[in-house]
Amino acid sequence: MERKGIAQTVYQIIAVTLVAIVVGGAASLAAIGFVEAVHFLNERLLISPYARVLAEDRPMLVASATLLVPAAGGLVVGLVVHFLVREKRGLAPPDAILAAQTSAPAPGLLSGLASTFAALVSLGSGASVGQYGPLVYLGAMFGNMVGRLRLNLRYQRSIAIACGVAAAISTAFNAPIAGLVFAHEVILRHYSLRAFAPVTVAAATGYIIANVIFDRPALFLVSFDRVEHSYEFVFFALEGVLCAGLAWVFMRLLRLSTNTARRYIGLPWARPAIAGLLLGLVALWIPEVLGIGQETLRFATIEGAFGIGELGLIIVAKLVLTALCVGFGFVGGVFSPALLIGILFGAFYGMVLPYIAPVPHSGLVVYAICGMMALASSVIGAPLTTILIVFELTRSYDLTIAAMVSVVFANLISYRVIGRSLFDLQLRARGFDLSLGRDKAILGNRRIRDYLSTEYTAASEMDTVGDVRQRLVNDNRAEAMVLDHQGILLGVIRLQGIVNRPAGTPAMAAAIGLFTRFEEATSVWQSMELLRGFLGEAVPLVSAEGKLLGVVPEEAVIRAYLEIVHDLREEENEAA
Amino acid sequence: MKPLSARVPALWMLGILVFPGLLSAGNEEQAREVLTVATWGGSYENSQRRAYFEPFTRATGVEIETVHYDGGVKALREQLASGDTDWDLVDMIQSDASAACEEGLLENIDPGILLPAPDGTPPHEDFMEGAIHRCFITQIVFSTVIAFDDRAFPGVKPDSVEDFFNLEDFPGKRALRKSPVGLFEWALLSLSVPREQLYDLLSTRRGLELASRQLNGIRDAIIWWTRGDESVELLTNGEAAMATGYNGRFFHARAMEGAPISVIWDGQLIGFNSWTIVRGTDQAELAEKFIAFATRSENMAAQANLISYGPARKSAFKRVGLHTDAGVPMRPYMPTAPSHMATAVVRDHHWYSQTVELREQWFKAWLQGE
Repeated sequence: MERKGIAQTVYQIIAVTLVAIVVGGAASLAAIGFVEAVHFLNERLLISPYARVLAEDRPMLVASATLLVPAAGGLVVGLVVHFLVREKRGLAPPDAILAAQTSAPAPGLLSGLASTFAALVSLGSGASVGQYGPLVYLGAMFGNMVGRLRLNLRYQRSIAIACGVAAAISTAFNAPIAGLVFAHEVILRHYSLRAFAPVTVAAATGYIIANVIFDRPALFLVSFDRVEHSYEFVFFALEGVLCAGLAWVFMRLLRLSTNTARRYIGLPWARPAIAGLLLGLVALWIPEVLGIGQETLRFATIEGAFGIGELGLIIVAKLVLTALCVGFGFVGGVFSPALLIGILFGAFYGMVLPYIAPVPHSGLVVYAICGMMALASSVIGAPLTTILIVFELTRSYDLTIAAMVSVVFANLISYRVIGRSLFDLQLRARGFDLSLGRDKAILGNRRIRDYLSTEYTAASEMDTVGDVRQRLVNDNRAEAMVLDHQGILLGVIRLQGIVNRPAGTPAMAAAIGLFTRFEEATSVWQSMELLRGFLGEAVPLVSAEGKLLGVVPEEAVIRAYLEIVHDLREEENEAA
Repeated sequence: MKPLSARVPALWMLGILVFPGLLSAGNEEQAREVLTVATWGGSYENSQRRAYFEPFTRATGVEIETVHYDGGVKALREQLASGDTDWDLVDMIQSDASAACEEGLLENIDPGILLPAPDGTPPHEDFMEGAIHRCFITQIVFSTVIAFDDRAFPGVKPDSVEDFFNLEDFPGKRALRKSPVGLFEWALLSLSVPREQLYDLLSTRRGLELASRQLNGIRDAIIWWTRGDESVELLTNGEAAMATGYNGRFFHARAMEGAPISVIWDGQLIGFNSWTIVRGTDQAELAEKFIAFATRSENMAAQANLISYGPARKSAFKRVGLHTDAGVPMRPYMPTAPSHMATAVVRDHHWYSQTVELREQWFKAWLQGE
């Protein structure tokens, strides 16, 4: 026995580590390939400023590329998503969260690849969307594939998905600790050692591949000495609050744009092309709105690169166009646009501040970084991750602490006003509500149908009270379901209601018409709510047409609750 | 492809055997022949004279005449437009050579003329990457650096690109080359833009505007130079406190002439010089012969032992040692010395060759005060 136990432990450790390295390596390489491919397309399609300046001598070419490339890209994206992705939308972090949290089947490989391709085309053709969302999904896709292997590991799928996501973020940002925390904070929503160890290995694998093997340049490099005055922390906190407001505006715009697209453009596959055309038109005037905006991101930290009015204009344009692109169905995330809008807003705040509070402050850089992280953390609901990204990219303690203050205040507000994140809002729209914690979300996701029993006493509308009474005595039950000849549930007869009735009375006269019932879609959580004040033995579960499918005994609801919660606690508390 | 590459070493062997014969044959038949090389003057040209021109004349009898050239494509374009040019070879900056090649101003060069290293390493492995091009053969790595007059700063010495733009702490005139080269890189570097992002940012209107604004800060302190040796003169005669210029010239002034000049390696701009043959010259074959001679490892090393420009061949760099006359060790003065590379900017020659007009327009606009 002892020996078998040791062998099993050794097997578990080796298998989990291998899963982490394989998933982490694959996700990391895929992330690098993806980013490179986007870069290549941006160069070829005259989206990046570098490519555009090299074609300076052909201004008509540059102008027509600006106008047509996003629209053409949008058309490709629309067609790919509509015809190749089963879900008919880009796959994104919410899908990864759902796959890690529930045992529901994840989107298929074809859908995943098509969605990734659509994201590549979106970003390559300059759409104002982010690259991290697709990278996270790509990581989750590898995780899901490995999660399905028969390795006999506990919570294999959720851990493998978290590994893929951690490696993707670790590679993309060159920030392994942020990748590790992101996977727990956003995907897993718990911090058990069982998941922590492999996810750490995956994040480190991603970092090694990105940094040691490929030597990727950092996302942004800034130099910052220190926060000069202690009162500035009040400014950082205020900035955080303002960023929460901006996040709220962004989410509203996003919803508005999604609804507008649904209402006014009948052909779903044509929507991204229309967004692309509008984007191109604006880009002729404000080229900064195209693509990820690496250069604009950098300028935001340079004093004097923008005038205040100009900055305000770019912020509004980028905000509106990002909402437009995402809402109209370009495939991509919201994290990079949020970073860009945030850093521009931070720079704006830093430039306006001296007019409002004419006291000395420590320059533009720190306010720009604070704005960037505060907005981004509110949008993706990952305060710890964003704080760590600042730390890992700048290695500056002062900058990190300043950003931390902004991030925390932004999240305090946005959590209450908007909810934890855009992802959670999207998941809630799909019926998976994480706002009251994992327990409720999973109880709300698991259907009580799974606990259905077909052991019940049936009565027909023709029966008399005497018939039913005898049948109940025979079956040793206190409840009978009255059905018509098609199996439609007409009512419930309780023993206490027929004990004293004459035997010849029609059964229907004794049936209760108003009774608690479950439907096929009723979740465990809802069933618990419905059971409040319930006095009977079992709750009938009916189909949409009203047919009785079976009953759920009260005991089964309690069993379902205990099982699910027990599983969750075990997953969260188990060591490796 | 395979048969060709298999044949290449054999061709080299043949070349080595036949080459001296060709040279001496040329000596007898083509006496009093003259090749005209457009090059940069001063101590740089002197080093070329001693390492390449004189030995070439001794070996072949062909005289080398030089004409002065200060870089750019314009000068070459004008020469060719005049219809009757006597330029045969030009010593061009790689980005200019690339642009001139696309404009059709240059002859193609057969890479087969290049000789292998003395240990037999074929040229494409021995030369640095990108050195062998259909229109040019890159020969040296040079650097444009900021230097200062030691006498101008008796106290704290400037040591960064930022200090060049800091007139408050480091007052004095700034000598800059009157050409849209290097200015904007330094302007952005002084705003702590990381070097990896320089050319991406300079590709935007905003990046160039930012550079203009930064340069405005020193506008009144600028003295312009055009010839490579002028920047050294401006420093030695005390007219300028700081100057940009070529590292080899500053080395020569300091090490050979004892001028009180110190180099700031921060933000050095690494560039490459290449041999090119002017389109339509009637001595293309002889010009190729010269290039083959001048790019021999020994000859390249001989130049590097006279002036601190790094040879573009590994086998030549291995032969760099003490200065031929002064006995100073040369390697620490090379732009490619590891301690100088930490903050070096390698000029994006693709960007340069594609932005000739943009840069010229920008520069003109800036000179006119925008």
